[in-house]
Amino acid sequence: MNSAEPAVLAEQLAKSYRGTRAVVEVSLRVEVGEAVGVVGANGAGKTTTVEMIAGLRVPEQGRVRVLGLDPRRDRARLRQVLGVQLQQAHLHHALRVGELVDLYRSFYPDPRPTAELLDLVELTEQRRTSFDKLSGGQQQRLSIALAITGRPRVVILDELTTGLDPTARRRMWGTVERLRSEGVSVLLVSHTMEEVERLCDRVAVLDAGRVVALDTPANLVTRAGTSTLDEAFVALTGRQVTEEPA
Amino acid sequence: MSTPVEARRPGLRSLITLVGCEAKMVVRDTAGLVVPLCLPLMIMLTSAASASRTVVANGRTALEVYVLPLVFTMVVAIIGIINMPSFLAYYRRSGILRRLGVTPASPAMILAAQAIVSVLQALVGMTVALLVALLAFGADPPADLGRAVGVVALAMAAMYGAGLIVAAVAPTPNSAVAIGLVAFFVLGALGGMFGGRDSLPEPLAEIGGWLPFGAAVEALSSAWAGSTVAAANLIGLGATVVVAAVVAGVLFRWE
Repeated sequence: MNSAEPAVLAEQLAKSYRGTRAVVEVSLRVEVGEAVGVVGANGAGKTTTVEMIAGLRVPEQGRVRVLGLDPRRDRARLRQVLGVQLQQAHLHHALRVGELVDLYRSFYPDPRPTAELLDLVELTEQRRTSFDKLSGGQQQRLSIALAITGRPRVVILDELTTGLDPTARRRMWGTVERLRSEGVSVLLVSHTMEEVERLCDRVAVLDAGRVVALDTPANLVTRAGTSTLDEAFVALTGRQVTEEPA
Repeated sequence: MSTPVEARRPGLRSLITLVGCEAKMVVRDTAGLVVPLCLPLMIMLTSAASASRTVVANGRTALEVYVLPLVFTMVVAIIGIINMPSFLAYYRRSGILRRLGVTPASPAMILAAQAIVSVLQALVGMTVALLVALLAFGADPPADLGRAVGVVALAMAAMYGAGLIVAAVAPTPNSAVAIGLVAFFVLGALGGMFGGRDSLPEPLAEIGGWLPFGAAVEALSSAWAGSTVAAANLIGLGATVVVAAVVAGVLFRWE
C-alpha cells in the first residue's frame, strides 16, 4: 500500500444472481480524501457494487483494490482501514448501545474513545438503552458510529439516511462532513440527490447494473441540460429516484 | 503520506469482550437459560429422594450412578444441540455474522466465544445439580473425578459438534430449535433418557450406547461408580467429534 494508491479502485466489476446481471462492468475510482456518491433506482446494482468493494461479495469479473489492498487476499489488513455501514444495522438486539460500542472497539488496535463516538452520533444519553429499543434513526446513527470506530481511512456508507427524518438526516450529513474534514475517503450510496450534491465531490449514476454517468454534480446537471440533479438523474436514466430501498 | 497497515487480528481482550457480550445475551434471554438449567434439575428432584437410598454398584446409589450422569448429559445436550445452534442460526439470519464480517473479528473468534459461553452455561447447570445432590440428598462426588471430568469434556465436544451440524443445516432460528429438539429427543431416547436403555429393543440399545447421549451417560456412570469406562463409549464420543467437525466444516455457512 502506498500514498499513490486511490482510496477505492473498482475495475470492470460484474455480478449475476440466478442468471440476472446485477452489475455489468462497473468501474469506479475514489481518490484519497474524496467523497463519491453512488445513486440509482432500486435494483440498479448499487449495494451489490459496494458489497463487492467491501469484500462481502466476490465479483465474477473485474478487480477491486481499497488503498491498494485486495479485499479477499488482504482481508485482515483491509478491515483495519475500511469502515462499512451496511444498509441494515444487523446488530445484537439484546445488547445496549455502550456494550455494542465497546465490543466493536475491542476489534481495533487504536479505536476512537466510546464517549467521542457516542457524542459524534448524539447517542450519549442512549448509552444504556438496548439496541432493539432504539428508533430507526438512532439505530442508523449507531451503525455509523460502529463503522468509524477503528479510525478507518475509507468508509462505505450504504443508504446513510434512508428512513431518517429531516433533522436526523442533517445530523448525519454533519457527521460525514466531519469525517471528510479528517481526511477520510467516502463512498456513499444514496437515494437522495440533495445528499450526494451536498456531501460528494463526484457522483456515479447507476442504471440496470451499469455506470451511465460519473462526474461532479454540477457537470452532471450541465451535461443533462437540466436545472437540478434530480432532473439530471431522470434525464440520464429515464427513471425516478425513490426514497426507500426495495 | 499513508502508513503501512499491519494485518492485526483482534486478540484476547477482544475475545473476552465478545464472551462477555454473549454471556449477557444469554442471561437476558431468560427462557433460553431456564430450560437447560432448570429442566434437568427438576427431573433430578423428582427421583432423587428414592434414588439416593437405593445402592446399585460399588456402594454407590442410583442417584450417583444413574440420575446424576443423566442430568449432566441432559444439561450438556440441551445447551449444545438446541441452544447454541439456535443462537448461531439467529446470528446468521439476522445478518449479525455479516456485520461482524466487515470488522477485523474472525468467524473462528465468534465460534470460540459461543463455545466458551456454552461451556460456562453447562458448568453452571452441572454445578447446581451436583450441589443440590451433595447437600440435599447426601450424594458423593464421582469415585474417579479426573475420569469424570474427562468424560464431561468429551461429551461437551461431541454435543457441540452435533449442535454445529444442526446450525449448519438449519436455515432459520426456529428450524434450528425444531431440528435440535428432534435430535435431542432421538439421541436422548436411544441413550436412556426415558427409563434406561435396558427397556429398549436390543439393536436400539446397542446403537444408543455408541451415540453421544447414551455414550456420555454410560461413561459418566462408570466414572461415578469407579468402574472402567467402556472403550465403546469413548470411541462413540470421539467419533462424533470427528464426524461432526468434518460435516459442519463442509456444510456450515456464515450467510
